[in-house]
Amino acid sequence: MIRFIALRLAALVLTLLAASFLIFAVTEFSPGDVARKTLGPYALQEQVDGLYRRLRLNDPLPVRYMRWLGVLLGLIDDPLQDPALKLDFSDPRGKRYFGNFGYSTLYKAPVNDIIWDRLSNTALLAGLAFALIVPLSLIAGILAGMREGSRLDRTISVAGIVFTSIPEFASGVFFTAIFVVGLGWLPGTSPLNRNAGWSIAAQLVLPVAVLVLYDSGYVARMVRGSMAEVMNKPFIRTAILKGLRRREVILHHAIRNAMIAPFTVILLQINFLISGVVVTEMVFAYPGFGRMLLEASLFGDIQLIEAATLIALTVAVSTQLISDIGYMLLNPQIRL
Amino acid sequence: MGEKIRNPHIDSLKSQLAEGKIDRREFLRFATLMGLSFPAAYAFVGEVTGEGFVAPARAAMPQGGTLRLGSRIKEIKNPHTYSWGAFDSNISRQVVEYLSFTDENNVTHPYLLEKWEVSDDLKTWTLRLRKDVKWRKGRAFMADDVVWNLKHVLDPEVGSSVVGLMKGYMLTEFDTGEKDDKGNPKLSVKLWDANAIEKVDDFTVRLNCKEPQVAVPEHLFHYPLAILDPEEKGVFGVGANGTGPFELVEFAVGKNAVLKARKDYWGEKPKIEQLEFIDVGDDPSAAIAAMASKQIHGLVGADPVQFDALKALPGFEFHKVVTAETAVMRVKVTQKPFDNPKVRKAMRLAVDPPSILEVALRGLGVPGEHTHVAPSMPDYAKLPEMKRDVAAAKQLLAEAGYPDGFDTEITVAKDEAWHAAQVQAATEQWKDAGIRVKIKLLPGAQFWEVWDKVPFGCTVWYHRPLAIMLLGLAYRTGVPWNESNYANPEFDKLLTEAEGTLDVGKRRGLIGQIERIMQEDGPLVQPVWRSNFTFMDKKVKGFTMHPTRYIFGNKLALEA
Repeated sequence: MIRFIALRLAALVLTLLAASFLIFAVTEFSPGDVARKTLGPYALQEQVDGLYRRLRLNDPLPVRYMRWLGVLLGLIDDPLQDPALKLDFSDPRGKRYFGNFGYSTLYKAPVNDIIWDRLSNTALLAGLAFALIVPLSLIAGILAGMREGSRLDRTISVAGIVFTSIPEFASGVFFTAIFVVGLGWLPGTSPLNRNAGWSIAAQLVLPVAVLVLYDSGYVARMVRGSMAEVMNKPFIRTAILKGLRRREVILHHAIRNAMIAPFTVILLQINFLISGVVVTEMVFAYPGFGRMLLEASLFGDIQLIEAATLIALTVAVSTQLISDIGYMLLNPQIRL
Repeated sequence: MGEKIRNPHIDSLKSQLAEGKIDRREFLRFATLMGLSFPAAYAFVGEVTGEGFVAPARAAMPQGGTLRLGSRIKEIKNPHTYSWGAFDSNISRQVVEYLSFTDENNVTHPYLLEKWEVSDDLKTWTLRLRKDVKWRKGRAFMADDVVWNLKHVLDPEVGSSVVGLMKGYMLTEFDTGEKDDKGNPKLSVKLWDANAIEKVDDFTVRLNCKEPQVAVPEHLFHYPLAILDPEEKGVFGVGANGTGPFELVEFAVGKNAVLKARKDYWGEKPKIEQLEFIDVGDDPSAAIAAMASKQIHGLVGADPVQFDALKALPGFEFHKVVTAETAVMRVKVTQKPFDNPKVRKAMRLAVDPPSILEVALRGLGVPGEHTHVAPSMPDYAKLPEMKRDVAAAKQLLAEAGYPDGFDTEITVAKDEAWHAAQVQAATEQWKDAGIRVKIKLLPGAQFWEVWDKVPFGCTVWYHRPLAIMLLGLAYRTGVPWNESNYANPEFDKLLTEAEGTLDVGKRRGLIGQIERIMQEDGPLVQPVWRSNFTFMDKKVKGFTMHPTRYIFGNKLALEA
């Protein structure tokens, strides 16, 4: 078990290294020049070239990658913080420390000053959504899978398909039309700002609702499928035939076995909720991680993209690890 | 009139006003440009035309409250390098001020200056500072502050776009002695003369220009030219010092900015207690939703795609101003088939500006005349309308050797939806004349990589108060932003003459000739001028839409 976790962690480090290098390489070939974007369309080409040199963007790709890695691990000083460059880049944590993600050219601030705030906003949104998605979809899925083909099953299945196939930008607009413009019950955007006349809780209702609607339909269908399959297994038939009450059969025999497959799917939703909520964040002007990553990518802000990707990857690999361990606990046949 | 005027240009302007050659607005604009103080100019107008100078009743304005406006919250750390104007500068604008101020009628007034004077040859500009201005942190505002700021924005290392604006008359190019990777000498710019920015005394600064320049006061209002406290070394943020009516107390990129009113401001005191800008993101529906739930009182600027939804919301007032903002569909005159002036004219004749205005901007603007000189500019000359004439366009194409028309591709940015709508409408109309255009849509950031390189592109040009400013930036031979590579010695000659001509009648004649050159020979198809517009809660008082979407927080009030 410990060996398994250690191996997984080693794999994580390798994945992070490979992914971070790939991002550097891909950004290299995508069009757009950070220096031009920083100075805007009206700066002279000479000024753009000057900034390009000062940002050290004319160094070869491997040199820039190794420099970025050195800064991240705290092995070397961040060269862009040199006051002689007149870039006004300064990090209160110092020039050299472990976990230095460098300096964002888009926000003109240390990446560590920006990213954690955004991540916690998204974690709040994702956490609330997850806390609702799991029980809702489990209940719906179990109820539907319990009696395959029943009226309840058909209703839940059809509703699940409908909800999952409405994209977030559409349901966001429907909800806004009903609850904001029509009824006036809720705020239309979620800047997470206390002075705007609406509580933070009220601002969270619509984005959470959109995510829950979109995602629980999908998860419920996965649970239903697994549940229905288990209900057709011989050991369930045996349990029923030996005279156990239906309630007992479902609670003690069916559910635990039916949870093995959906468990992984449910944990995978965490990854979606951290980095895939960009559409919801756009619709509700929510200051989250997804929107930040989108803006950083459009700007070519390599330091911020790298930091965001490493964090998203770490989350993904960790949930994978948890799901493997959980899998083992649910299914004693699997031994790691 | 207690003011002694020695400038012969002002005498000439006065007689032009008296003879009815120029109207009230033009007189005000040019007289103040030449250094006549605002009250004096208004008093003179009153004498001649009998119109009084009516100041709006501000005493009756409600006091207090927090006014919230929807915008984008971008980083604001270095005002001198701002690149987009409306989003970034509107926050710092409440804290740090400008030497001059161009109002919604395109009239430029002194702001941190008391007045300016210009020499007869338009090369020496004397800027006289107000003596009653104090920085929030207590110190008096002095000539050294102005000198530092001007030198800072003109330092090429800083990266300010003011360099592009003032290069012609303040800077000179020099060889740094270094070579770039390709072995070409590295060029840079520096002040053309050590004495170009001269401190005369504690409250007077003089600009000694290399070339005559009439638009210096307008340039001083360019959004990166905010006057910062030199001690803060060009860096702005929460708690930054300023001479303006507000103090920035809270700021988060992508979220919000909170500004608190100052009680001891030197000018018109703020009525509201607090001004807050809230990020409503890039999704046009988010801004509408924020308005509907009253999270914000209004938007800094609205987009035509939001117009119908916003109009349907109760309790909001529509504000509009005609601007000189446009999107120019321009060609590179160095590339086939656009090197032939007949082809260029045929492209103009094949489109119908009024219908493009309807499609692209829902009629919120005025039709263009393919001249890049706007009717709202004082030096605009009215030409006969250039009507759509497909037969004439086909005839011209045939004469140019394209009897079956030609195929080409236009590059356009996605940023503002109406640009693409304009290009689509024009493309449909071009088809009738045999000009078959493919549309290449790029994200804004990618577009600005290639905007001056593509053979055929649609470029936004923001509002500028004077025709000579735009024409000099975009069409003079060899200037950095001449994206069409247009080079016409006759055009250059007329433009230089216009830039040195103060007599508006004479200048208008010159601009009229330039407009004709543009219609016959120019590198552009320019069917519309957009209006800027927005919606504000009816409780918001004192708001007027500025052509560049600038917000002046101390003029605004909020009814309880």
